[in-house]
Amino acid sequence: MRVQQPAATGLDLERVDGRAKVLGLAPYAYEHPAENPTYLYPVQSTIARGRITAIDTAAAETMDGVVAVLTHLNAPRLADAADKELAVLQSDEVGFRGQFVAAVVADSPEAAREAAARVRVQYHQEPHHAALRADHEDLYKPEQINAGLETDTQAGDPDAALASAAVVVDRTYTTPAEHNNPMEPHTTVAQWEGDRLLVFDSTQAVHNARKTLAPLFDVEVEQIRVVAPHVGGGFGSKGLPHAHVVLTALAAKVTGGRPVKYALTRQQMFFLAGYRTPTIQRLQLGASPDGRISVLTHDVVEQTSAIKEFAEQTAGISRMMYSADHRRTTHRLASLDVPVPSWMRAPGECPGSFGLEVAMDELAEACGIDPIELRVRNEPAIDPETGKPFASRHLLACLREGARRFGWERRNAQPGTVLVDGWRTGIGVAASTYPARRQPANTARIRFTADGFYEVQIGAVDLGTGAWTALTQIAAEALECGPEQVRLQIGDTDLPVATVAGGSSGTASWGSAIIGAAQMFRKEHGGFPSAGDTSEGDGERNPAGKNYALHSFGAQFAEVQVHADTGEIRVSRMLGVYSAGRIINPRTARSQFLGGMTMGIGMALHEQSVMDERFGMIVNHDFADYHVPSNADIRQLEAFWLEEVDEHAGPLGARGIGEIGIVGAAAAVANAAYNATGIRVRDLPLTADKFLT
Amino acid sequence: MQIPAPFDYVRASDVDNALALLERHGPESRLVAGGHSLLPMMKLRLARPEWLIDINGLAELDFMVREGNVFRIGALTRHTTLLESPEVARLFPIVTDAEQVIADPVVRNRGTIGGSLCQADPAEDLSTVCDVLRAEAVIRGPAGERVVAMDEFHRGPYETAVGQNELMSELRFPIRPRSSSAYEKVERRVGDWAVAAAGAAVSLAADGTIEESSVGLTAVGLDGTVAGIGDLLGGRRPDEDLFAEAGRIAAAACEPVADQRGGIDYKRHLADELTRRVLRRACARASEEQEG
Repeated sequence: MRVQQPAATGLDLERVDGRAKVLGLAPYAYEHPAENPTYLYPVQSTIARGRITAIDTAAAETMDGVVAVLTHLNAPRLADAADKELAVLQSDEVGFRGQFVAAVVADSPEAAREAAARVRVQYHQEPHHAALRADHEDLYKPEQINAGLETDTQAGDPDAALASAAVVVDRTYTTPAEHNNPMEPHTTVAQWEGDRLLVFDSTQAVHNARKTLAPLFDVEVEQIRVVAPHVGGGFGSKGLPHAHVVLTALAAKVTGGRPVKYALTRQQMFFLAGYRTPTIQRLQLGASPDGRISVLTHDVVEQTSAIKEFAEQTAGISRMMYSADHRRTTHRLASLDVPVPSWMRAPGECPGSFGLEVAMDELAEACGIDPIELRVRNEPAIDPETGKPFASRHLLACLREGARRFGWERRNAQPGTVLVDGWRTGIGVAASTYPARRQPANTARIRFTADGFYEVQIGAVDLGTGAWTALTQIAAEALECGPEQVRLQIGDTDLPVATVAGGSSGTASWGSAIIGAAQMFRKEHGGFPSAGDTSEGDGERNPAGKNYALHSFGAQFAEVQVHADTGEIRVSRMLGVYSAGRIINPRTARSQFLGGMTMGIGMALHEQSVMDERFGMIVNHDFADYHVPSNADIRQLEAFWLEEVDEHAGPLGARGIGEIGIVGAAAAVANAAYNATGIRVRDLPLTADKFLT
Repeated sequence: MQIPAPFDYVRASDVDNALALLERHGPESRLVAGGHSLLPMMKLRLARPEWLIDINGLAELDFMVREGNVFRIGALTRHTTLLESPEVARLFPIVTDAEQVIADPVVRNRGTIGGSLCQADPAEDLSTVCDVLRAEAVIRGPAGERVVAMDEFHRGPYETAVGQNELMSELRFPIRPRSSSAYEKVERRVGDWAVAAAGAAVSLAADGTIEESSVGLTAVGLDGTVAGIGDLLGGRRPDEDLFAEAGRIAAAACEPVADQRGGIDYKRHLADELTRRVLRRACARASEEQEG
């Protein structure tokens, strides 16, 4: 395949949407003008499992400004109630605490909230299970796991290989439930005009959103328009429509055509917008004394909601990361009466890399060899899972470049030996990876305008990552014009179909379609087009996927300080080196990598959603108690990348960078903390008390 | 969107007017100063006052002044003002220590010392600071002014001696010769509530022995100062063994509860460790003071 020569890509272009955002002019979902709007506030279940036996809405209905009070008794019926997360107000069943059981629509947000507080709900409560345990009695094997992967894999005879291995690391690692918590809360503004639905949504995928909504409301996708020009983060939680989108659209059916506006509160987001399952991961690594791994097993227990299955592919990373003749990966789910888990930045690779990469650190120590050298010795020549060659695998180059920049040679192999002013200091490393996905089913349209601009249209979404800028650059390069000559239009289902801003696939998928459209445009209209000339192009499925394993790689380095007396832990320095194919815009790319690493520090040190299993309640459901790093917690962070173009990653040569920054980050921090203290913490987050023994 | 329950709002013109408004609007009226505790509580519907009486305009409550051996700080003094005051740093370094770790600059620009004390959150830092400095609170009400000591001021979590129809107007801190103080906090992330914190104030005799001392703890279930510290340290020379003993007493005196910021044992350990640290630092500062 011809890889395009870089021109506008690679430029350190400022965000094209930056000025509008700084001025507050970039409209987010809640801010689009809506005429005579109504406001929704929900009533959430206070039990974890059972049935609604009575709802008293009289007090709410008689309040000034109340337009409607919806319950399962009077809400419009959905045409399809099979997805129990989305089938809001369709039955008396309660599947988790915090589920929608009623909603008030009113003339003002104040009235809606006040009336919602006056709705009285009675329940028949049933026994519930809300806590994940490794010995949960009804663990089951899902049909498949997220991204359509196989639930279990096996190669060789892992048990026999473990029995005969000279060195064995056999440990269990846990990660807690974590919530995505984007800055902009999940927000939907919905309005019906006859049988047409207009939705302003905070979503990572406008086209997918309407595809999900259409069958629920028994309309054709063309009858629904979803608009999302700007999104304040999602980290996966806005990749799929959640219950609030359906609830808002449902409520808009009873307002006589008035729009309904609903932004989740931060507290509601902890129940209704997805989260990362807690994981319990048993890793067994068997190796020769010189660290060559003969057997690798990764057995995962995690949870899903009883009302809807989501199976995180936690052990997926162990299928392709290192060579081993004998291998097993398994996933077992506990079906619990809890909110529905979903995508959160690097589902699978993120929690899985904590188990695998800490286990690798333990193996390095057990063999008495350097952790980087251990990875060198276990670098596979081909993808162990598929047997295909890697299109591009520069893990070792990332490790070596990172080691050089970070000062790895100064690491003291003996843990717990550096103590300065009461602080124990250590450094650690972990490898990172993320699959290079490119979604087909993307179309871009290019039109030459009367005033001499190229209008580039695609129904993609910029969830804050920089797609506005990167796609402008890609279009300019493909059209061989300056970025200032491109007028990009995204975030609207009126634009050609595009896939989700997720799975680190957006830029490569949409970019391929834009390149296709640009080539078509030049073919059809030449270099001197007339006003109105228009062409479309599609992103095709990447043919290289048939013959190659496509993954990005990276190396994460962390320096950690742990106070000898209090256990306080800080990440004083972190550095990542990534191999992700061509980097379209260094400025927004660096921001993405640093953002991923920052979120990884949060995962390592802070984030933990605490379930009170007695009530099925996530108790720390706000930022006072759910800790994410503040600016002052993030000290020195650096991100670098290898200059490369992946000729197998499509016409763009880029693989995607949204997620790889978080993968391995928590493991690097945990490994550095071990190097600092000699205390191996296998359960996230790394709180101070765990370092005082 | 987090929206408080309906409420009415009025700005007070002076202290007497604020008191009259409290009287007029009764038990469901609340004073609002910085608002960094009250407004979030209202948005979360943990508090539902019917009236907010805004005292931010009351310049008469925003002052810092030394009068003889007493330092008076008006209740409306902002955290940032305290943090940036060289005189406060010289006389009461514990205040500067604490202010550096209270929330973040945005909160400190708005929050007030009176608000902190009257909110009486168990994890609130300035309550401990006032305890160990043996401050007095000046409370004004319909019947005039009264002055209460800290042990009388605190009534438990979120409760103080300030009646519904009263307001705290100022805090008074005694200035002692050859004395100093220190505060240390362990937090899970920058700007968070304390996992645990400790404050200490000491006065040294001319011969360098400890004359008076007090230690207070934050967020670990201890009301007032740690009993027995003054007796233990009185007349002794500051040294590590002494601090260690004080630390053990402090750890035994507190009654922390386990939460996601830490378990009971860890918080007791911090009470011990932080007590040693603040005593060590307060004594070192006091002896510098003595030499200087």
